[in-house]
Amino acid sequence: MKIQAFLQKVLLLELWQGMWVTLKNQFRPHITVEYPKETVEFPPRFRGVPRLRKDPQTGEELCVSCLLCEAICPTECISIVSEKRPDGKGKQLISFTINYERCCFCGLCVDPCPTKPITAIYMSHDYEFAGFDRDSYVTAREELVDGKPVKIYTS
Amino acid sequence: MFRTEMMDINMGPQHPSTHGVLRLKLLLDGETVTDTDVLIGYLHRGVEKLCESKNYHMIEPYTDRLDYVAAMYENLGYVETVEKLMGITVPERAEYIRVITAELQRIASHLVWLGTHALDIGAMTVFFYCFREREILLDLFEAFCGARLTYNAYRIGGLPWDVPPGWTDRVRHFVKIFPGRQQEYDTLLTKNRIWLGRTKGVGILKAGDAIDFGVSGPCLRAAGVSYDVRKAHPYSVYDRFLFDIPTGENCDTYDRYLVRMEEMRQSLRIVQQALDGLPAGEVMGKVPKRIKPPVGEVYHTVEGPRGELGFYIVSQGEDKPYRMRFRSPSFVNLQALPHMVKGSLVADVVAVIGTLDIVLGDVDR
Ligand code: SF4
Ligand code: SF4
Repeated sequence: MKIQAFLQKVLLLELWQGMWVTLKNQFRPHITVEYPKETVEFPPRFRGVPRLRKDPQTGEELCVSCLLCEAICPTECISIVSEKRPDGKGKQLISFTINYERCCFCGLCVDPCPTKPITAIYMSHDYEFAGFDRDSYVTAREELVDGKPVKIYTS
Repeated sequence: MFRTEMMDINMGPQHPSTHGVLRLKLLLDGETVTDTDVLIGYLHRGVEKLCESKNYHMIEPYTDRLDYVAAMYENLGYVETVEKLMGITVPERAEYIRVITAELQRIASHLVWLGTHALDIGAMTVFFYCFREREILLDLFEAFCGARLTYNAYRIGGLPWDVPPGWTDRVRHFVKIFPGRQQEYDTLLTKNRIWLGRTKGVGILKAGDAIDFGVSGPCLRAAGVSYDVRKAHPYSVYDRFLFDIPTGENCDTYDRYLVRMEEMRQSLRIVQQALDGLPAGEVMGKVPKRIKPPVGEVYHTVEGPRGELGFYIVSQGEDKPYRMRFRSPSFVNLQALPHMVKGSLVADVVAVIGTLDIVLGDVDR
């Protein structure tokens, strides 16, 4: 036992074992990607910036101005202005703004949206929304529906 | 003619080894630390006060931002506290999925700890390997709830979604490959003479002192006290799983390392059992639309990766808590730091901060 311990000490055995581990790992495949040249694929539930959407069939806006998303948003970043429809049935949107500067991407606004199964507000997969000034984060309804044009980076 | 002088040294708040914005004022006699002042508050956001103006649904995203390295546990502790206050029963499947995600989170959190702790002491390779495995876990969380760090993964009464298709197989795959990967960290560190030299006998925290300071989690268990909330006050469905509580003997940094390594193995065991026993069914229980707990107060703890994580809510029958208080393990464990570094060298302070595994978001709240 003593000889073994002595040999271990002199021959630096545990260090060589560690070296062997690092050597083995040299040959493992890479797991990093070179953003922005390559991007990773997102799972369907990925929570990017919240956006509004239209009915895919009729092309009409889905939002019924129930203000539930505004009420549940913890950072109070959604603001909705709506009025009664002229025919008296329900309400229609005048403006719908999300301040991305405050949004914390929690996804709570999607939960209560009553237009099931396709919710009017949804967490999109967009994540590149850097801006140069604070105003550029206050996103109005048109941009929320169509999405900001995404800049594609190439090298 | 010649004389020696005590010297005050500031460590932090922008020091890479303080894991955030911790500031230490060290009083040094040569290289020996004689006194330490821990100055905190650089990340204070007033979440406790903020919660008083938010309703119960809105608070969950805020709990994510406390201990952002282990946000699942903050979510879990918070929703369980509200459920306890309101007497809501959670469907079994939801409980199992909560246990699986929470235990995976413990592994992910311990991987961050191991990587950064080793990096602080000078072993850089381990850091990359740990983050490689953590990446697999974060991908799993992303597939489950859509976010990688601030999950907001549970809701009061259950889960917002069931697991996505194929998710359990991916978890099984992780359970299969992880022991091999952990063996690699083991080979790199456990017998490494530099690692032993930097951790053995460093930052001793005896059981009595640990209890006096209120230290919990792996730091307490490394002192030989076998206390784990999962066993002592079982919450969720933890009473159905077989797992051991690893404890140490020497109360030093090396023992805390061994305890945490063993905890990862035990977590894997729990995940395996939960996957095997995963029942079918609903994931959301019966919950009123407006969460309005009855008048009363409740305290509930879960065993986070850093220790006992407590939530205290006082309700006055409104949809907002009257008072919200978090017992964050990092904050309490940090109190032991001056005691642990007293009389040791400056270089050991870094090792002790690493072994306490603090997260400043949790300390300052
Ligand atoms: S994701 Fe959260 S913070 Fe952002 S708009 Fe929705 S509810 Fe508000
Ligand atoms: S919850 Fe849905 S329908 Fe209601 S206002 Fe918000 S986006 Fe519109």
